[in-house]
Amino acid sequence: MVALRQGLNLVQQGEFVNLPERVQWFGFSQSAGQWIVLLGALGLLATLAAGTRWLTAGRYVYAVGSDAEAARLAGIRPRMVTFGVFALMGALAGFAAVLNIVQSPQVQPLAGSGLELKVIAAVVVGGVAISGGRGSLWGAFVGLLLLVCISPALIHLHVEAYWEKAIQGAIILIAATAEVMRIRTRNARPPVRANA
Amino acid sequence: MSSWTKSFRGNWRRFLIRYEMLLLLVLVAEWLAFYYFGTSTNRRGMVVGFGTLDRQFDILRHSCEIGLLALALTPVILTAGIDLSVGSLLGLSAVVFGALWHDAGWPVWLAAFATLFAGGVAGGLNAVLIARLKLPPLIVTLGTYSLFRGVAEALTRGAVTYTDFPVGFLFLGQERGWGLPMQAWIFLGVAASVWTLVHRTMVGRTLRVIGFSPEGAHYAGLAVTRTLTLAYVMAGVIAALAALIYTARLGQAKADAGTGYELFAITAVVLGGTSIFGGRGTVTGTLLGVAVIAVMKNGLATLPIVIRWNAAEESAGLLTGALLIFALALAAAPKFLSARRARPHFSAVTPIPKSP
Repeated sequence: MVALRQGLNLVQQGEFVNLPERVQWFGFSQSAGQWIVLLGALGLLATLAAGTRWLTAGRYVYAVGSDAEAARLAGIRPRMVTFGVFALMGALAGFAAVLNIVQSPQVQPLAGSGLELKVIAAVVVGGVAISGGRGSLWGAFVGLLLLVCISPALIHLHVEAYWEKAIQGAIILIAATAEVMRIRTRNARPPVRANA
Repeated sequence: MSSWTKSFRGNWRRFLIRYEMLLLLVLVAEWLAFYYFGTSTNRRGMVVGFGTLDRQFDILRHSCEIGLLALALTPVILTAGIDLSVGSLLGLSAVVFGALWHDAGWPVWLAAFATLFAGGVAGGLNAVLIARLKLPPLIVTLGTYSLFRGVAEALTRGAVTYTDFPVGFLFLGQERGWGLPMQAWIFLGVAASVWTLVHRTMVGRTLRVIGFSPEGAHYAGLAVTRTLTLAYVMAGVIAALAALIYTARLGQAKADAGTGYELFAITAVVLGGTSIFGGRGTVTGTLLGVAVIAVMKNGLATLPIVIRWNAAEESAGLLTGALLIFALALAAAPKFLSARRARPHFSAVTPIPKSP
């Protein structure tokens, strides 16, 4: 999948494509365009957050993530939900690409490479369980803000910027440990599990 | 007598339709394709084919590091775990080695052993969090993936490159000995050790049992924590070894060494037939997976431009991805088909295996 995406490079093979002028910032000025990008992303986030929170389809996702077999017995079709979630993922990646493209006059096939692991990190730091069934979009958003803010904070504190990745890693480890500790203290008997 | 023949025939058939045989066929097919269609110019400017010994050695030299990482990942993935941090650890180990040799003035052999030890310690960090605290391997190694690379960058301030290693050390990555590139001997040695560990020892069995069911392994009295720890520490040490070979091959140690290698290694392991859900897989398959990817990557560059569309690197990525999806689909097909055929009509209480 990651490797396959690399194949997209074939289409352009490292060459930049000049887009028509109207594509940049959706044909608006840069200041207006920036607002459109920001508000568009935030609006989508709010919509999806509300959707996963209150829509039946949104709750299906939690149900399947929590226990696919129980969900199936409750009349949900886990396969359909999985299919829908991955299709939505593709659509969102496309939307992100549009927001990315309008910011510069060139299209780079390598755009977003290496982002997948960063995104997983943000989601995990935001308290979404990797085993599924727990977490929220707003949590993931907070996790994202936390990781993104490291670099400006370092500059502000006059710490060398090379520490950014190390601190990012430490935050992920601390967040994961804290989450498990929280669950352990709540449930008296921890489950015997090597892997989740 | 007849029963013996029958069982022998059964074994023979089982041997023939094994997944590894299919992979071997793919490997031979792609090698032959490159042999017939591929050309390149050698050092003296002569046009030579793909079949030269030089090129085979070139493929071998370039696949050693990712091959080592894939070998390190095989036991880990057998336990249904994952280690995303091996590529970053390769970078960190390379930097540690360079710093110990260049800045601290240690002799090369001592710096090398210290690097292997440091790799073990870094793997130990993964091991403690995963085996002791029972955190999900994906998250832990995602964290250390950032952490190791970050420490490497902080140590070198993102700029320092260690070079001018002694000739005796570079020999390890650039010269031939006993008919093969030097690092190939190390690679083969590690491959043989990992194969023995996974397929011929109690530890290997335990790895698989943990992959199928950690709870079951626990109740069966197996040393789950200790075995998991061994797998992750071993991954760290092998990553450090890969860092030494990488440094010797390129003659320089830099913080960005091995960026993205973890995904290549995982691809090779999964292509080699090891289940990402744990419990199933072979070291032989991993080796074949590494070979298929390495030959494809190297071979595509020798094809005429028309055949390989545009860029060899990207075509290799595309084909590897397609091959991987094909392999996964192939592995899932029998299960899927049998489920289709034999789906009971009143299956309300049929337990399905817990999805990993």
